[in-house]
Parts: sequence; structure tokens; C-alpha cells
Amino acid sequence: MRAAALLLLSAISMPAATFYVTIAGLGGEPDYVQRFKMWADDIDGSLKKAGGDSSVTTLNAPHLEQIRTRFAELSRQAKPADALVVMLIGHGTYDGHDYKFNIPGPDLTATELAALLDRVPAQRQLVVNMTSCSGGSIEQLRRANRIVIAATRTGSERNATNFARYFAEALREPAADTDKNESVSALEAFRYAQTKTTEFFDTQKRLATEHSVIEDTGKGSGERAATAENGEGKLAAAFTVVRLGANAAAARDPSKRPLLDKKEQLEQAIEKLKFEKAAMPVQEYKRQLTQLLLELARTQEAIDK
Amino acid sequence: MRERRSIVGQLVKLRAGCLPALRAGKQPAAGYHPAPHRKGNLAAVAITLLLALALPAQTLDQAVALWKARQFKEANEAFLQLVDHAPANPDYKVRYGRMMLAYGRIGDAQDLFEKALTLKKDDAGAVLGLALIASDNFDSRAGDLAKKALELDPKLVEAQELIARIALEDNDNPKATAEAKKALAMDANSEGGRAILATIDLLADKPETAWDPHTAEGYETIGQFFVTNRRYEEGIKYFRKAIELDPQLYSARSKLGVNLMRLGQNDEAFQQLETCYNNHFQDAATRNSLKLMDTYSKFVTFTTPTTSLKLDKKEAELLRPYIQSEMERAMATYDKKYRMKLERPVQVEVYPNHEDFAVRTLGMPGLGALGVTFGYVVAMDSPSGRKPGTFHWASTLWHEMSHVYTLTATGHRVPRWFTEGLAVHEETAVSPDWGDRLSPEVIAAIKNKKLLPIAGLDRGFVHPTGPFQVVVSYFQAGRICDYINQKWGWDTLLAMLHDFGAGEDTVSVVRKELKIEPAEFDQRFVAYIEADTKNTVDHFDEWKKDLKSVVEKSIAKDWDAVIKEGTAIRDMYPEYVEEHSVYEMLAKAYVAKGDKAAAIAELVRYEKIGGRDPESLKLLSKMLAEAGRTVEAADALHRLNFIYPMDAAAHRSLGDLWLAQGNIKGAIREFAAVVARDPQDPAQAHFDLARAYHAAKQDGQAEDELLSALETAPGFRPAQKLLLELNATAVKN
Repeated sequence: MRAAALLLLSAISMPAATFYVTIAGLGGEPDYVQRFKMWADDIDGSLKKAGGDSSVTTLNAPHLEQIRTRFAELSRQAKPADALVVMLIGHGTYDGHDYKFNIPGPDLTATELAALLDRVPAQRQLVVNMTSCSGGSIEQLRRANRIVIAATRTGSERNATNFARYFAEALREPAADTDKNESVSALEAFRYAQTKTTEFFDTQKRLATEHSVIEDTGKGSGERAATAENGEGKLAAAFTVVRLGANAAAARDPSKRPLLDKKEQLEQAIEKLKFEKAAMPVQEYKRQLTQLLLELARTQEAIDK
Repeated sequence: MRERRSIVGQLVKLRAGCLPALRAGKQPAAGYHPAPHRKGNLAAVAITLLLALALPAQTLDQAVALWKARQFKEANEAFLQLVDHAPANPDYKVRYGRMMLAYGRIGDAQDLFEKALTLKKDDAGAVLGLALIASDNFDSRAGDLAKKALELDPKLVEAQELIARIALEDNDNPKATAEAKKALAMDANSEGGRAILATIDLLADKPETAWDPHTAEGYETIGQFFVTNRRYEEGIKYFRKAIELDPQLYSARSKLGVNLMRLGQNDEAFQQLETCYNNHFQDAATRNSLKLMDTYSKFVTFTTPTTSLKLDKKEAELLRPYIQSEMERAMATYDKKYRMKLERPVQVEVYPNHEDFAVRTLGMPGLGALGVTFGYVVAMDSPSGRKPGTFHWASTLWHEMSHVYTLTATGHRVPRWFTEGLAVHEETAVSPDWGDRLSPEVIAAIKNKKLLPIAGLDRGFVHPTGPFQVVVSYFQAGRICDYINQKWGWDTLLAMLHDFGAGEDTVSVVRKELKIEPAEFDQRFVAYIEADTKNTVDHFDEWKKDLKSVVEKSIAKDWDAVIKEGTAIRDMYPEYVEEHSVYEMLAKAYVAKGDKAAAIAELVRYEKIGGRDPESLKLLSKMLAEAGRTVEAADALHRLNFIYPMDAAAHRSLGDLWLAQGNIKGAIREFAAVVARDPQDPAQAHFDLARAYHAAKQDGQAEDELLSALETAPGFRPAQKLLLELNATAVKN
């Protein structure tokens, strides 16, 4: 619920634009070439379908120079209030010091990627590195106000990953929107892809060779789960990756402002009540929750009119 | 093997006086980890160690005397000294190996026998030791090894006893009797010979036997034969008699514990097994069974007046409705078919970890079976314990439940082939697409004329000569029952069952009920099965060769070639529904070509003949729904529930289909399954269940589910709307 409230606030103070850069790396084998392109196209399609004020760039097996060029453009186009989302799909390597994203010609290192990202003025940034060994890139990529999601916990998980398939799915699948606010946050997409990847290995009765992690404190090494204890996930919960509905429209209508304020208060009251649940008699909790939810539903009905 | 080798090594370290090694020496080799009180007194062990170091080399007699006095550690020390001081003496190794065998240290025993044979390649005792180990594992080499030992030493009565034992395991009573009498001729006091003859009498329900061994080991042998014949309670009775005579015969006590566990008498089973463990009898069955019982707190049991269902807590809520309803459906069907009522509730235990199931049934991991029945107790794999599509849990449940009836109807006297045959027959009787399909191993057996005669079919289960003979024997037994049912009728099968219950053997039952000689039956059955499978057997090699080409074309996405070649070979082996089935490749090709109707037709064929791949069945359902054939779409997913009910997306789709079709009860079950699966999208799952409850006019439950949905996602608009609707209705009323 706290996440929902934060999302609402983030919706109100929407950044001017979101810049998306999806890069499919070198496949090596026909199967991987096809797979990486398919996932990148899947993401591209979801982002373009969502519309809104966004710029979507998808590069398929680009050379390093093409990547540098695109980032140079972004450095000129983006403003501090904007958001930047970079998604890497493909194979990666890690030599114990630096991570490399495999592309034709010289590879893109995590150190260089971090430098390219740093030059983009957009203050809110999300990097989703879905390659093998991607855990090895966290140290270079992490920074305040930047969310880093990696498909592997460390640089030593070298097998080709499945995380990208499910992250792409999260951007078009309503089930990923667990709080039903018609947009998928970075945290929701991460959790969706992580759960689906785990299920994949479980059902195939195979030993899991990838363990995705998230880092958004700017100083951690990546956590499997975002919790209050480890402090991870706060930025990611408030970072909208893609919108599935038209919930932004109401936020822009000044006449709906009082209703939106009321809605926010009700959501906060529900959050507070949930926090007190353990100390309350079950029936009393249910009564109060029903009352608040009914009021929230009526308010939403009024907003939707 | 890695478990087995460690004990000797650890005890060598113990004697060397290294304290950390001493602690390690008290640990089991693997598996069961004892509670702290089992670790023993370190100081006492250290004193023993000092004494051992002070002792001079023992004589073989002293070592054997310590063994017979059940002083395992001291005997072990003595044997170690003997083999250290005389490493070239094979006798010491053989005797040491026999002690290890008696304490369930199979791997160590095997090492010692093998080392003895490197010293003396014709050592009869070592060969006998290996024969005993092979016999314990129902390894078909046991008989040859026993014969070899007897050739090497014609006075080796134990080898002769083992030959008699193996004959009895094959249910060849005349041969077992003759061989046991040979043992008695060699030694009038042959305990094994008497035990075999007594077993033959007792298994035939004779009230008394002239061959009562009156020894603990003899009663252990009798008990083991009752267990092999699935007469667990009588087996337990003889294990009890054995330990009454010799409380320190831990091999018998362990068997008592394992079989009590099989019958669900876990408290006493635990006590008996722990006693064995604490007294150094730590074979794999004892260790693994104790380890399994330590995990029982993870299970929850649901009871009704006629059933008891034990499930792992983490999947109980999901699986219970499905398994419970199938248990009840099977019992209602079998009550009528077998014309009997069970006297006690049937207990079904479902294990998500296959190795736990294997330990539960054999005391040993590595069991290939999917389910096992012990009287009124059925243990089986959970659908979550196997790769999706490789296990039809409902078919397995019906198979095992039929054993409950056939074992009960015959007082556990039914031969293995007949109870398995009926069970396999029941799998496809409940639904033609259930049960196992004609496999390549079976085709090869038919082609190469490797089917066994009906009178010797039990051998295919008890002492298979090759890795696939058990699979072939299941198939053959099942088809024999199908054939009898077809030609003579169900009443004949029932009459045969009752004859077996009266103690008659296969030969006499065939003569009595089928009115033909067993050899004549074999001829007719082979003709029937060859005619029935002729198309597939004749074309199998061609199909196999061409399938490879179709697979290659499919990988290359040459869809036209897949359609041409696949269509040409599909009906050569129509029952093949495993990986790379022609149906699935054709469907994929048709989808790629945009011909959905043809793709649906292929997948419908695949489904009807028993295809089980969840993704293919889900694809079929989706395409059928898109084509407006929603009843068939629901049916495909309903079939999937009997194969892999762990897929939340499939439950949701089926719930939607059934809700739209007015099968509200079914929709509630499906949406409840999604909720139970700890879904990715809990708000949607609770909302769907709320919709179904609302449709069933159960608005109280609907409101509870809505609150759960909105508690997770307060802004979930469809749920908000339904909540307002329910509230408005409540206010009106």
C-alpha cells in the first residue's frame, strides 16, 4: 500500500518523459540470436503500445559506437526531471574486475556503461541487465537514484539466462501489476520476472543457474528480495516502467484534485489499518477495512465519472 | 556406493586415536543425522580406544566371538587388527565382510568380499558374500553367484539355502522345496532350509508346519517372505517372533520398523528403528526411514469416515480437493466392480520429494515407481515431484487404489502379476487416455518374442533379467487382464481373484476359470497381442528412422515437409505421445502455416490418445476457446488437472471457462486452486474466486475474497465494483 501511495505521488509528479533504450547483444548461436531479438522486440512492442510521453529505442546487436552515439543523443535530449530505462539482453562475461556486455566488435564494459549513464541528465534511472554474469556489473552501475536489476546474483553465474523472457512478459502482462494501479513498477516487474524464472527451473526440475537481484540504495551489492530490513526496493516501487491503462489522465485533471486527495487519504488509512491488523480482533479489522474499501471504491467511481 | 564405503575408513581413524576423527566415526555415513543423545559418550569411546590400542592382535575366533556377542565396536577392532596383520588372508576379509553384512554395512561388506577375491579368486565364502548382497538387491545375478559358490565348495550349505530362497522368491515352490531339501541333506540342521520349507507351508496358510525353524533368523526369513508377498501384517508378526527370541537381531528389528512404517504405525516404527540405530545397525533403510520420519511434521492429514489423506503442508490446500475427490470416485467405482466394501479407511500419502516417497516405500532412495500400496496404505509421488507431463497422478492413484481392493479381497494372496495386471487394466478402464501407452521397450519385447509365460510372469516383476523387463511385465499383465475381460468377462477376472485368495496358484486358476492349459492361454494371448500391435510393430523401425527426419525438419521450420512427412508416419505408431510426438510437431507446423483448424485436429488426436504435455494441452484449450469450442477447451484443461494440477494459469483459464458455462462449483474449485498456489497476482486470484462465489450466491464468501483482493490492491477497479454491488444488495435486503 505504501508502494501504491508512492506510485500515486509519482504519477502526480510525472517526469516530463521517459527514455527507453533496449539493447539485444550478440547471440553467437542462431537460437540465441533469435531469442534475444524476440525478447527485445517484445519489450519494444509493449513500450510503444503503452504510448505516453516516451522515447523508445531498440538496438539489435549494435556496435559499441552505435551505443555511444545513442547515449550522446540522450545526454542532449533528456532533462533532469526525465527518467531513463536501459535494458540489456544477451550474453555477458565477468573477469573478476569488470563486466562486459557481448556485442559485435569491442564489448561494452560496465565501467563504460556507468559513464554513459552518468552523462544522461535524467535523474531517475533504471538499468535492467538481463545477461549472464550481470551480477558482476552492479558494483560499477550502482549510484544514488539509480535502480539496478541484474539477472544473476554475481558475475560467476555464467549460463545463458531466462530472466529477460519474463521481464519482457511483465511489461505486457496484467498479472505483473499486483497492486492493480494500471502500471507496472520496476519492483513489480522484477518480482514477476524473478518468480517466473524460479518457477521455470522448479517445473523443469533443473538446478537454478540464475538468481536475479535488485539494488536501488546506491551502495548495496544486490538483494534477492526487496525488504524493509535491507532497504532495497523503495525507488523501484515508485518507478513506473510501463503503463497498462489510462490512469494518468485523471491525475492531470485539476477538477479531480479533491477526489484524488481523498483517495490518497483513504489509501493511507488502509495502509495504517493493515499495519495494525495483528493487534486487532479479526472482526473489527474486517469491519473497518470494509468501510474504508467501500469509501475508496465510491471515491474511485466519482473520479472515473 | 559413496555412502557405503565410508564406515570402515572412519573406524580405522577411530583406532588411530585421532579425536576429531573419533567424533566423525560416530556419525552415520550419510542421510540420517542423529539427535544429540545418539552421539554417545565421547569419554567412554576414548577409553575403548585406549583399550583397543593396548590389545594385541586378536584371533579370528575372538573376533567372531565378539561379533556373535553383538559387541560391534570391539569385534570391528579385532577384525581390523586381523586384516592389518594378515593383509593377504582372504578368510579374515570374508568373515569381516559377513559381520559388516549382518550390520547392514553393505558397501563395506562388498569391498571386503571383492578384496578377498583379488587375493583368492575362487574363494567360495567371498563369492557367497557377493551372492547374498545381490540377493538382498533382488539382483538376477544372485542365483549364478550362489551356484558358483556351491561349485567352489560343495559343502557350503548357505549357498544351497540361498538357491532355495531365490526359487521361492520366483514363486517356484517345487524347485524351492527341492533345493531346501538339498540343504537339509547337506546339513540336517540347516536353518535356512527349514525356514524356506516352513515359509512354503505358512504362505499356503497351513496352520502348522513341521519345519518351524524355532530360531530368530529363521523367523526373519519367514517374515521377509510374507512382506515380499505383500502380507505385511503377517510379516510383522514373524519379525516380532524373531526379536522375541533374539532382541539383538537388529536386521529383523529394522525390518519390523520399516514395515510398521509402511502400515502407518509410525510411533512404534520410530522406536524400533532408533533402537537399531543406537545399536550400530545403521543400514541405509534404517537411516533413511528415521530421517524421513523426522520430516513428518511438514505433513498434514485430512480424514473422512472412509479416507485419510496425508499431504505436504505447502501443497495441501491446492491438491486436497483433486485427490480427495478421485479417492472417493475410485472407491465408489471399485466397491461396485469388486463387490466389496473396505473395512477400514484407506490412507493415501503424497510426497512432493520423490526420494522421500522411495524411502517411505523401500527404506531406500532411487525407486523408479510412482506409487506403492501396503494394504490399506498407499504412498505415491506428488504431481509436483515430477517433471510436468511425465506423471499422470490420477492414473497412479486409481492403480494403487485397485491394489487396496485386490490385496484385501485375497488376504494379500494375489500373485504380483495379477494384482498389477488388474491395476493397469483399471487405469484405462476409468478413461481410455489414462494409463501408460505402448512404449518402444514393449514393442521390442513383442517383436523379439520376449513376453513371459503367464505361469512365470511374476519373475518379470521380482527377478527381471533386464532393465526394461519390469515395464514390459506391467504392460503384459495389464493386457492379459484386458484380454480375459474381453474374452471371458469381468466375472471371470473376479472369480480368478477369489481363487487366488483361496491360495490357488496361477496354473490351477487358469485351468479352472479359463478352462485351458496355461500354455494354450499363452499362445492365444500372444496371437491377440501381436494382432493388436501389428501395425506399430511392423512399422516401428521405419517410423523411428522417419521421425528423426521430421524432427530435423521441424527444427529447421520446414513446415511443408513436416506436414508431408509427419502425416505419413503419424499412424504407424499412433500411441507415441512422448517428446517430439508427431501430433505436436504437426500442430506446430499447422499453426505456423496459419491453419488453426488442422492444428486443433492434431492436438485433439494427441489428447484423446493420452498426450500429456501441459503446454500442448494448454495450447489446444486456447485454440479451441478461440474457435468457440469452449466445452472442449474446458475439457482439455480438466484432463490436465489429472496430470499437472500445479499450473495456476491453467486453473484460472478453466475457472473462467466453467464460470461462463455455468459450472459454478467447478469454477470455485479452479479459482480456489489459484489462490492456494500462492499466485503471482493475488488480487486477481481472490477477485476471480469472489466472482465465482457471487455466481453461486455465496455472498459472504464472495465478500471475504473481495476483501482479500482489495487488501492487496485497494485500487483494483473490478473488485471495487463488485464490492459496491454486494454492499448495495446487502443494504436492500
